[in-house]
Parts: sequence; structure tokens; C-alpha cells
Amino acid sequence: MKMIEVKNLTFSYGKDKQALHGLNFSVADGEIFGFLGPNGSGKSTTQKILTGILKGHGGEVSLFGKDLRTVQTQEFFQQIGVLFEFPYLYANLSAVDNLNYFASFYPKEQLRDVKELLEELEFKKDFLNKPVSSYSKGMRQRVSMARALISNPKLLFLDEPTSGLDPAGAVLFRKIIEEERQKGTTVFLTTHNMLDADLLCDRVAFITNGNIVALDTPQNLKEKNSNHRIVVSYLYQGKRKEQTIEAPELKAGIPFAYDEIISIHSQEPTLEDVFIQYTGRGLS
Amino acid sequence: MWKSLCSLFKKDCRMMMSGKFFLVALGSLVLYTLFINFGYVKFMDAQLYNVYLYDPAGMQTEVSSLVRPVSSLEELNNALASDTNGVGIDASGKTPHVLFYAATEKADRHRTDYALSLLSPDGNDTAKTVGSNSPEMKQRREITCELLFIEIVAVGFLGIASVLFKEKQMGVIRVHAIMPLHKSLFVCSKIMLFLITDLVFAALMVLFNVGLDGMSVLPAVLVQTAILSLIMALAGFGCTMLLRDFKQFSLAYLVIALFAATPVFLAANTSVKMAWIDYHPFYHVYMGLKNAFFGVPTTNPVYYAGAIGAIILLFLLVEAAFRKEMGKEG
Repeated sequence: MKMIEVKNLTFSYGKDKQALHGLNFSVADGEIFGFLGPNGSGKSTTQKILTGILKGHGGEVSLFGKDLRTVQTQEFFQQIGVLFEFPYLYANLSAVDNLNYFASFYPKEQLRDVKELLEELEFKKDFLNKPVSSYSKGMRQRVSMARALISNPKLLFLDEPTSGLDPAGAVLFRKIIEEERQKGTTVFLTTHNMLDADLLCDRVAFITNGNIVALDTPQNLKEKNSNHRIVVSYLYQGKRKEQTIEAPELKAGIPFAYDEIISIHSQEPTLEDVFIQYTGRGLS
Repeated sequence: MWKSLCSLFKKDCRMMMSGKFFLVALGSLVLYTLFINFGYVKFMDAQLYNVYLYDPAGMQTEVSSLVRPVSSLEELNNALASDTNGVGIDASGKTPHVLFYAATEKADRHRTDYALSLLSPDGNDTAKTVGSNSPEMKQRREITCELLFIEIVAVGFLGIASVLFKEKQMGVIRVHAIMPLHKSLFVCSKIMLFLITDLVFAALMVLFNVGLDGMSVLPAVLVQTAILSLIMALAGFGCTMLLRDFKQFSLAYLVIALFAATPVFLAANTSVKMAWIDYHPFYHVYMGLKNAFFGVPTTNPVYYAGAIGAIILLFLLVEAAFRKEMGKEG
């Protein structure tokens, strides 16, 4: 089943401000789909349309197999979870109070336990009942993630989930997103972080100037754009040397004389290299 | 729906408590009560104007005993020079002329009327007694009405802005866009909270400053308070959604406060006449409140239809502005 299906999606902020120029993509049930693009490319606009915040789009958009224009009932919002780019929380309330407040809009039977969820997100216990204004950026991001997950959503929209986290926090978040996928949750991930996209996403779409310029698995994208060369470092007659060879040459073994191989590196591009190749722009 | 409304209402109460709004309202109530009971009523308890009459021919035969006769124009001028609030009547000619030490044409007509009424206490110039309020009770009702109007127009309007600008700054309004709730409940909850606060404030103002006598007019006062409170809270909500920050809001507030309050007070409480005041919506709301305080509730259906129409229109505009705010970038 397709969780999200988008056909010829267009959106304009004014007469001459067309933000999206006919996007086409679909996201399967249980898939982690990465949506990558530089600032102003149309990522947030697309996410806002999909989450029902922006109205007035052109083309066809369906979520949960139903047209977006008719699906935006309370039931729809009960099934989605959204992590915004910034941790929007009531600064005068504590983490527990914030989560209890936002949880109060969902049916009780679909809710997760607030304290267990925060523990899973490795939230410092001492701060549970302190106001959010006293939290670090990483702690706020954890509470925001908890807010997005508290209702056990079937479809999760994550905008820069690891922003503001230290490396250990980023690893933890990736683990949690992976666990969500294993539970069957579909994840629509908007990010600048190529590592997140590479490690988490089943497929990624590159968007620039309101157009999708590439859409595939990260592995396929890298392979397609690889020069298929390999760099071999080795020792020969007491000297360290390095040679670049074409990958097919390896079929017959190392095609030069050596005493000891030190390392073999493929010259596969990173996802960011591929992105720049497609768009001519970096992600920042 | 009720569950969502209760959650929103509870959260709004906490926001207002943390913003010290209730404390400010309580402070205003204490301040107004002290001012009315220990300041205004005593200050306004002034002596009647002295009226001096120069009537060399003895033409005025039914003069009140409150009038002080003088024997010459010079004595009349000296009396007015030493008692500058007094009123002089020169009845040496056919028609009595009224003299003041200093006066303005429009604002001192009541002194003229009062002085002339003393010349013929049973004649056409005699003032009619309206209602059964003592002078003190009349003053209490008048000032309580004025302060209640100011409180709702100013403090209520600013109060809702202070809460909403905080939420706007924190970005949490956007989170409500993806919550499973009717978005209009967000507006309703805030308006309801301010309405309840204003109604409680009005009831306490009446109780503390008009006393138990005021209980008979309380239902009518609460109806008028509700109309004013809804209009001001919705106007405050709308301005907060449309304006970028509190600085811009304070400028808008100044314009609205000046537009709403100043001409209304001038027209309703002084003898300044403004032909266009009938077209000023707040004049009717203020007069509705004032009449309610004096036990003459407004019964004109056009007034209520206009008020309800304005509230519905404001609500729709506010809801549209609120939805626009939810869709903004972070």
C-alpha cells in the first residue's frame, strides 16, 4: 500500500512565486523516505502540504489512500506525528506538562507513557518537572521528538530530527527512527544531514527549485554516479606507493607487482557529492 | 471536543497565571476600589455653587433661599472675584444676565441652568430629579462604569496580546495546526477565559463600589460587560495575529484606545457635543453599560443585533488570521 502518493503537485505563494513545479513521488507503507534539498527548494512547503498546514495546492495528493483534501479530519491528525525544524514547546511548562498537554488531544488508548518515552529518549530525569526554558537545545529536541511520537503515529514527518544533538544523541535518534520503521511506521524525513539520509532512508528524493531532480535508494544513486575507480595503497621494494585502477581490472586480481597491500579504497561518491552533481548546489 | 476545550482552557489559565495577568487584574481591582471609596467619592462631594443676585428693583419675587443677594454691581464683582466657582446674576435689566469669574461656553452651561433654576424654584428652569439615587450613589455608579470600561478596553485587550505574543514567540501556535482538534477551539478557549475574567471583575467592581444596591443592576451590567469583553478580546487576538511584535501592537493599541475611549468619554460625560458620535460603535456599548448601571437596560434589538453581528464578524476574521499564522515558517 502507498502511504503517500503525490502526482503533479504544484503550489504557489503568490502570482509570481511558484514554489513547487509538478512533483511526483510516492512513499510505501513502512518506508523511510528522505526529502533532501537546499534552503528554499520547496522541502518545507511540500511537508506543510502533506501535513495539512498549507491549503490550495494543485495536482493530486493522497495519504492513507485517500485524497488529502477530504482526509483532513481529526482522525487524520490522530494518525500523523510531526517533528518541526525547531523545538516548539511551552517554555513555562515542564517536559511532562508539555507532553501531557499535547497528548490530551489524542484518544487515551493510542498514547504512550510520557515518562517511559522520555526515558527512551535519554532525557535527564532531574529536568522532568523543570520548565522548558531551563533546557539545552538537545533536551528540547528530545521533548519535541517525544511529542511527535507520543500518539504512536502511523505516519511520521521529521524535519531535521538530529539538529541540535551531540553525536551520541544523533545516534540515539537514528536508533529510535529505525525502531519506528520496524514497528511499521512510515517516515517522511526532511533533512540537510546526508549521514542521516544515507543511514536511515530506503529512498531519497533530491529537490531543488521546486523540482525533484533525482529519486532512488542512496546506494543506487551513489553507484550510478560512481567513477568505478579503486585506489590501492601498497608497499613494493620497501617503498610505499599508491595506484588508481578501474574496478573491472580487479577481476583478474591486483594488476601490478607489490609486496604488501596497505589499503584498498573505492572512489564511490558520498550522497552529498551526488546531490551537488544533480543540483549544482550544496545543501547548506 | 469538550476534552480538547478543557485542555486548552487549563493551559491558557496556566499561561495567564505565569504571565501574572490575574495579579494585574487583582491589583487594578484593589486600586480602583481604594480610589472610588477613599478618593473619588470624597473629592466629588463638593459644596453647591454659591449664587449671587443683584436685583435693585426687586423684580425677582420667588427667589430660593440659597441665593445670596448683593446690593451693587461692584459687590457682585467682588463676590465673584473671591468665590471663583460662584455664579452671579445681574437682574438690573429686563432679563437676568448670568456672570462668571471664568467659564467656557459649553462646559459651564450646568452652572447657568442651576443659577437660573434658583430664581424661580417652581418654574420651567427647575431641574428634574431622575431616579432615586443619592448624589453619592450616582457618583459611585458613574465612576465604576467608567473604570470598568477602561479596564476592559485597555487591560483586557493588552492581556490577551501578552499571552498570545508569548505563544507566537515560542512557536507553539504552529504545533496546534497538526493536533487533532477543531482549530477554532484555540480561539474560543482564550476568548472564554477573558470573558469569564471580565465578568468576575465586573461583578466584584459592582459589589465593592456600588454595594449591595448594585446587585439589582448586576445582570444587565454583566450583559454589557460580556459584549464589550468579547469585542475587545477578539480585536486583541486579531491584532496579535496580524502584527509582528509587541512594539507594533502597542502602537495599534494606542490608536484603538484613543479611538475607542477618548471621544466616547467626552461625548458621554461632558457637555461636549459631537454630531458623529452616534456612528461610533463604542459609544453605544459604553452607553449600554452606563444605562445598565443606572437601572435602565438597553432594550433596542438593533443594538444587540449589531453587537452579535460584530462579534461573529470579528470571530471569523480572527479565525482566518489564526489559520494563516499556523502556516507560517518557523
